[in-house]
Amino acid sequence: MKKIVLFIFSIFFLLSGCAKNESGRLLDDVKKRGVLRVGMSTFVPWAMNDKEGNLIGFEIDVATALAKDMGVKVEFIPTKWSGIIPALLTGKFDVIIGGMGITEERIKKVDFSDPYDYTGMSIVASRKKAPGYTNLSDFNKSDIIIAARLGTTAADAAKKNFPNAQLKLFDDEAQAIQELLTDRVHAVVASSPLPEFHAIKYSSRFYLPLNDTLTKEPIGFAMRKNEDSLKDYFNSWIKKRWKDGFLRDRKKYWFRTRDWEKRVE
Amino acid sequence: MRDRTRFTLLDFVLLALLFSGIAYIVFRMKAELHYNWDWSAVASYIIRYDAKGGEYVPGLLLSGLAVTFKLSIWSTILASIIGLFMGLMRISHKAGLRLTSALYVGIVRNIPSIVFIFIFYFFISGQIADAFNSDSLSSSISGHSDFVSLLFSPPAMFSVFISAVLTLALYEGAYMTEIVRAGIESVERGQGEAADALGFSWRQKMRYIVLPQAFKRILPPMAGQIISVIKDSAIVSVISVQDLTFRGTELMASTYKTYEIWITITMMYFLLTYGCSTAVGQMEKYMERKGYV
Repeated sequence: MKKIVLFIFSIFFLLSGCAKNESGRLLDDVKKRGVLRVGMSTFVPWAMNDKEGNLIGFEIDVATALAKDMGVKVEFIPTKWSGIIPALLTGKFDVIIGGMGITEERIKKVDFSDPYDYTGMSIVASRKKAPGYTNLSDFNKSDIIIAARLGTTAADAAKKNFPNAQLKLFDDEAQAIQELLTDRVHAVVASSPLPEFHAIKYSSRFYLPLNDTLTKEPIGFAMRKNEDSLKDYFNSWIKKRWKDGFLRDRKKYWFRTRDWEKRVE
Repeated sequence: MRDRTRFTLLDFVLLALLFSGIAYIVFRMKAELHYNWDWSAVASYIIRYDAKGGEYVPGLLLSGLAVTFKLSIWSTILASIIGLFMGLMRISHKAGLRLTSALYVGIVRNIPSIVFIFIFYFFISGQIADAFNSDSLSSSISGHSDFVSLLFSPPAMFSVFISAVLTLALYEGAYMTEIVRAGIESVERGQGEAADALGFSWRQKMRYIVLPQAFKRILPPMAGQIISVIKDSAIVSVISVQDLTFRGTELMASTYKTYEIWITITMMYFLLTYGCSTAVGQMEKYMERKGYV
């Protein structure tokens, strides 16, 4: 039996070995193909469906502009966040443009472009279950339960900042927020501005215990390793688009205003 | 003489208990969830009016249901073929064939479906998808993109869709293999022996004697398995096939209308599977009338 198991595993690894195309030529491939395939996942307001079912959001604007400047069409491949890195590694798409924070752990598996955005984690708490908490240590107790989205840097931030608290992880933020609404958790950690939005939406039930974000982390495009020409292209694009104010402008529209809300509701 | 169904006191008590149970759950939900119910937009997720085109177009959930439907049909067809061949191999006299089939069933049935889907999707289907992604094929697909979209999925999602169909078919195929095997084995030994005595070849024996009899016994459990395929197709949402469940979870992440959307999805699945059950029931009745069973 052991031999059979070994045999099967070695087949898997052989196959996964040949799954990788020759690396380093992705930029040329994309141009030849005429399509940039972008992996993303729904995160309000980075990427979401509007009333017509089209994708809108900060990342969608960024990726669309990037593809336009490359002279290719853009194709979005909505992917579950928890499986997005394996999907990139097995070539289901060319790049992740999905608000992915640059972390040590992720750098071991994928390459990141220079940061094109910064985000922070913030925390929203239940008025009933966690009343009047004002600093981090209030949440760092063994009877406190904190919810976050699986595989996100929010989950890491919660683990790091509240090592004593219990962590409850969900596939998306909607479930985490629902858990907070039913008072089964004390607080939810997520990328700003999502907690802020919910604190406004359910102001009678939620509040923001801290004035500032927990962390400030850089966001980059993620791609497979050894795609240096693609990475160089992305980096120079980001530099250019920072200078001409495009990125700042889009960021302001999606994060500082709520003008886009009527496109969704 | 048919028995008339009569309501007795016990039936009324049971009904009253059932309804008060439901009412209690609804009441608790209202009290515990603190949830702002908002059904206003849900209709537009199923079907909505496109102002630009001036016509009604399917919403996100309905197009998800279409994907689920197509996925189920193709997987069922493929799984039935796998099931038939593997089922025949399972009772073969050749040890190699028998072992292959036993290994297949043994592996697939003893791995959780979600793990199987991930392993197959990331390790194996990449190869198949690469073959489908090759330039010649994708250009030939885009030549008939309307046709392909209608039957399978838009060309952009084609390789993921094919992976999902293959994964689901291989998974369900293992169960169908067992159904086919049990069906064949349930045919009395004497039938096979009689065929042998008459000098039928193995192929003739199967084709004219054993399989027609086995088919009748296979049909009811097979119908159950097909309904299972529809329900199990929800797990391919983890590999980001845009089926009903995936569309629903994405929509929930966008709108935070968790309960409205889950309830809508449940009803849509129910319509699909209940429709199937009814159709199968009708088919069995028809076969009974025609004297096949």
